[in-house]
Amino acid sequence: MTTSTVDSPARRSSRGGRVLRYVLLVVVACVVLGPIYWLVTSALKPTADIYTYPPTWIPNPLHLRWSNFADAWHAAPFGRFFLNSLIVTAIGTVGEMLCATLCAYAFAFLRFPFKKVLFGVLLGAMMVPGHVTLLPNYLTISDLGWINTYQGLIFPGLGSVFATFLLRQHMMTLPGEVLDAAKVDGAGHLRTMFRVVLPLSRPMLITAGVITLVAKWNDFIWPLIVTNSTNMRTVPIGLLFLKTQEGYNNWGAIMAATVLVIVPVLVVFFFAQRQIVAGLTQGATKG
Amino acid sequence: MSAVDARAGARSADTVGAGDRPPPRRRRPRHLREYLLFLAFIVPNFFFVIVFAYWPVIYNAYLSLTSWNMLAPVKEFVGLTNYTDLLTDGDFLGTLRITVIFVLGIVLGSMVLGLAIAVLLNEKLIGRGFVRTMAFAPHILSGAAIGTIWLFIFDPNYGLLRPIFGVVGLASPNWMTSSKWALPGLIIVYLWKNMGFIATVYLAGLQNVPRDLYEAAAIDGSGPWHTFRKITFPMLSPVTFFLVITTTIGTFQAFDIIALMTGGGPGNSTTILSWFIYQQAFKAFDAGHAAAAAMLMFVVLIIITALQARFLERKVHYR
Amino acid sequence: MVAPARLSRRSLLAASGGAALALTAAGCGGGSGGGNGFAQASGDKVPDKYAKRTRVVVWHAYSGNPGTAITELAKRFNESQSDVYVEAQFQGTYDETAQKVTAAVQAKKIPDLVTFSEVNWHNFYLNDLLEPLDGYFGSGLKRSAYNQKLLSEGVLKDKLWWLPLARSTPIFYYNKTLFHKAGLPDRGPATWDEWRDWSKQIKGLKVKGKQVKMEAYQKVDGDWQFQGSVWQWGGAYSNGLNVAIDQDPAVAAGEWQRELIFKDKMAYMADSPSVDFQNQLIATLVTSTGGLQGMTEAAEKGKWEVGTAFVPKKEQQVVPTGGGGFGMLAYSPKDRKQAAWKFIEFCGKAENSAYWTLTTGYLPVIDAAVDEPDLKKRLADDPNFSTAVKQLDIVRKEDEVRLMVPNANILIYTGLQKIWANNTPAKQVFTDVAGQLKKATDKVRKNIEKHI
Repeated sequence: MTTSTVDSPARRSSRGGRVLRYVLLVVVACVVLGPIYWLVTSALKPTADIYTYPPTWIPNPLHLRWSNFADAWHAAPFGRFFLNSLIVTAIGTVGEMLCATLCAYAFAFLRFPFKKVLFGVLLGAMMVPGHVTLLPNYLTISDLGWINTYQGLIFPGLGSVFATFLLRQHMMTLPGEVLDAAKVDGAGHLRTMFRVVLPLSRPMLITAGVITLVAKWNDFIWPLIVTNSTNMRTVPIGLLFLKTQEGYNNWGAIMAATVLVIVPVLVVFFFAQRQIVAGLTQGATKG
Repeated sequence: MSAVDARAGARSADTVGAGDRPPPRRRRPRHLREYLLFLAFIVPNFFFVIVFAYWPVIYNAYLSLTSWNMLAPVKEFVGLTNYTDLLTDGDFLGTLRITVIFVLGIVLGSMVLGLAIAVLLNEKLIGRGFVRTMAFAPHILSGAAIGTIWLFIFDPNYGLLRPIFGVVGLASPNWMTSSKWALPGLIIVYLWKNMGFIATVYLAGLQNVPRDLYEAAAIDGSGPWHTFRKITFPMLSPVTFFLVITTTIGTFQAFDIIALMTGGGPGNSTTILSWFIYQQAFKAFDAGHAAAAAMLMFVVLIIITALQARFLERKVHYR
Repeated sequence: MVAPARLSRRSLLAASGGAALALTAAGCGGGSGGGNGFAQASGDKVPDKYAKRTRVVVWHAYSGNPGTAITELAKRFNESQSDVYVEAQFQGTYDETAQKVTAAVQAKKIPDLVTFSEVNWHNFYLNDLLEPLDGYFGSGLKRSAYNQKLLSEGVLKDKLWWLPLARSTPIFYYNKTLFHKAGLPDRGPATWDEWRDWSKQIKGLKVKGKQVKMEAYQKVDGDWQFQGSVWQWGGAYSNGLNVAIDQDPAVAAGEWQRELIFKDKMAYMADSPSVDFQNQLIATLVTSTGGLQGMTEAAEKGKWEVGTAFVPKKEQQVVPTGGGGFGMLAYSPKDRKQAAWKFIEFCGKAENSAYWTLTTGYLPVIDAAVDEPDLKKRLADDPNFSTAVKQLDIVRKEDEVRLMVPNANILIYTGLQKIWANNTPAKQVFTDVAGQLKKATDKVRKNIEKHI
């Protein structure tokens, strides 16, 4: 990044202008946070308080219903679901990032005939409508004997397009001198990659990694289809166990389970967010 | 699609490849090694992409020429009938119309809102770091979580919008149970989900606009709006290019929130193409029409992306 | 994690080998199983103590209380005998379960027993995937033990394909407290016209600042309740495979609801009418018996009283049935089918049927269940609970087009949404829907006619 100081053009704004900006900032914060705040507080209310008017904005701190979380946790083996989600997300993310990094490096730095066409083919995979892959992939996984296994959950997600795209765009912005220096050094491509390119790409690796991780954690349809038994289910499917067909739902528990689903992702995000912002800056603006 | 990366590829050749390498002499052996290395590097990724994305497309292309209920042992070959059926079916054409509104609404809306938020956050305001971080959060929530939250917010009886509308003396519309409001409602949800992400990317772009340009503009006595139009926005064009394309592709694929909130209704008012495909395949068990619709979507996406790449790139300002 | 030896080799192959593996493997088919290439669906590891038994895989669609109940039944069954091990696995909603079975059939790795909805089982039957069950009855479970009306809904071509389990009917719920406030009698209205008169008295009532309405229509799957309305108005969705939804009685039923919404302003379409009823936004509701427990609990918390009655009549007094039942997959090998039947026999014991009904609120499908002490007591203590059982006398099997034509239910409720949300005249909507239904029916007509 060349310039990091922020000095906006409209510095000479009047006092009224400043107040207006703060008002807008507060509005943005409320719009963004309101729904999330409401979800989290609902998870601590009894169902009757969720369906009430006027809405309870601030739940009574003395009557927070922590038992919603216990109810949700006991409605299905969420412990097992978390373990499964962790395994699938961790291995899947590492695997996909490995594929993506190698592939991005090749497209950024190595010569090959019809490279552009190949890259086009890769990007085209982003445009494949989601549902068309379900049945064929189920059949493929079934032929491999992988229905209801971790492999079945993980393998179809290992191919990477978006992460490859991000990484390649980033790698192409790396200053040529660094690479040349490595070349003079006699470093092979593998060494150049590990010693020079990857360290320089850290923010982008983290960005792509988090985006990949979030997608895997949130995935719903594929895990539902490819697993048969409670022992192999992942966290998002746990929500299904809480809803009944007859429309009588313990909404407090459902909200609590929803919070359980999103918290791990939010935690990862907050830890990584600085890097993500840096990563996106590089990926999108240059290249 | 191919246009984007063809261009991107061309740029890459300029920036990294041809420019800094010595002219080729006796290229064979050295190049061969590089070719092999290239292949070795891309094979893992391509293996998975081909098996789990392109093989389904081929299979799907075949299904689109058959009539099959997903259970029968035989798939009857029907040629292009499924395609002609769709293109003469009023409901399907209605679906396309709704898809266009949906995609345009979300892409344009979230770009404008995202840019506006980015400009706001680019000011030196206390607390902007916090808002910036939080603004991104909706983007990483699962569709199931977002759908559950917003169903409650939109509920005309208990929802959060009822008191807010009440302040101005209006009744909250019956968002998800009204044909008029369901589509705008869905668009609002996606705007909420997308705008922080877009703002973050734009913000990064804004911070890369060199200061001297603004200083020069200030000396010329140019007003803030003029400065934005003549300097800021053109300087952001590569970001805009990236965002428009990825948001468009993502919006076409939208599904989970719709499944949770409207199920394509009321009536067909929120049946966009991706929902139509799902419904044909897994509710109507009509694999042929679902596959044909999916092929159309695939091709349309490729064309749209290529056109966007072409049109936008002409306007993109590269440094 | 599962069978590591085989997997590691396989994963190695998959990771390093070409796409060819995945594609050619298709030719090999899958492992052991019946002589027809169908293997059993995988699942959890069989507990050691049950390892030597015949394993039966049951895929069901029950979460919440019904989920607990079916899991408990499977557990009790496994403990009650020493030959069969039942593994009951939740697969999502009825639709999601059906989708999974569809994929499983393609992959030739199938469960043995599946709970299908009243709509979904037909699709599997029409593709010759279900086993006729008539021959399995015997001393363990007699055919006559079942409620014959419910049982007969699973009969086609003189054979039984689908056994009642989680069956329900719509009943009429009303808010006694609101009725009392409005000066209405403490009973359900006899006719829809009486009901409409009463709505005028409800009109002035407010709860928590909201005007109380008379009823709400369910946005998704509302075509089930409307099947009842169409009959009550003297019409039908279809007669046999002849679509009749565009005829006068059905149109009149649709217009009635449109008027209530847009003229009387006493009804509306809702995401979840049950929730609105529980929160006293509406004074009456026609919905499944399965919701009774939830209504009762909500009423207790909200300090009001819930009442139930037969659904009012117009031309006729009649309601549909709905819900799920067992289907057995034909490609499961003989020994597993026999074993699966043992589980059905177990669920068909009066005490187990009573347990199921008490836990879930579904109708007792075994007649003798109502004589079991627990259920008997409950029926005596709770008049609401017995309404559903008594109403069994006026149930009818749904019209064929809704049951047999894929997507018909969605076409119908999508049409209803247009009436309820857009104020589109019923005649226009149902003419369109009839056209779509006819087209959809023609696609499958030959196959259906061969099968009925």
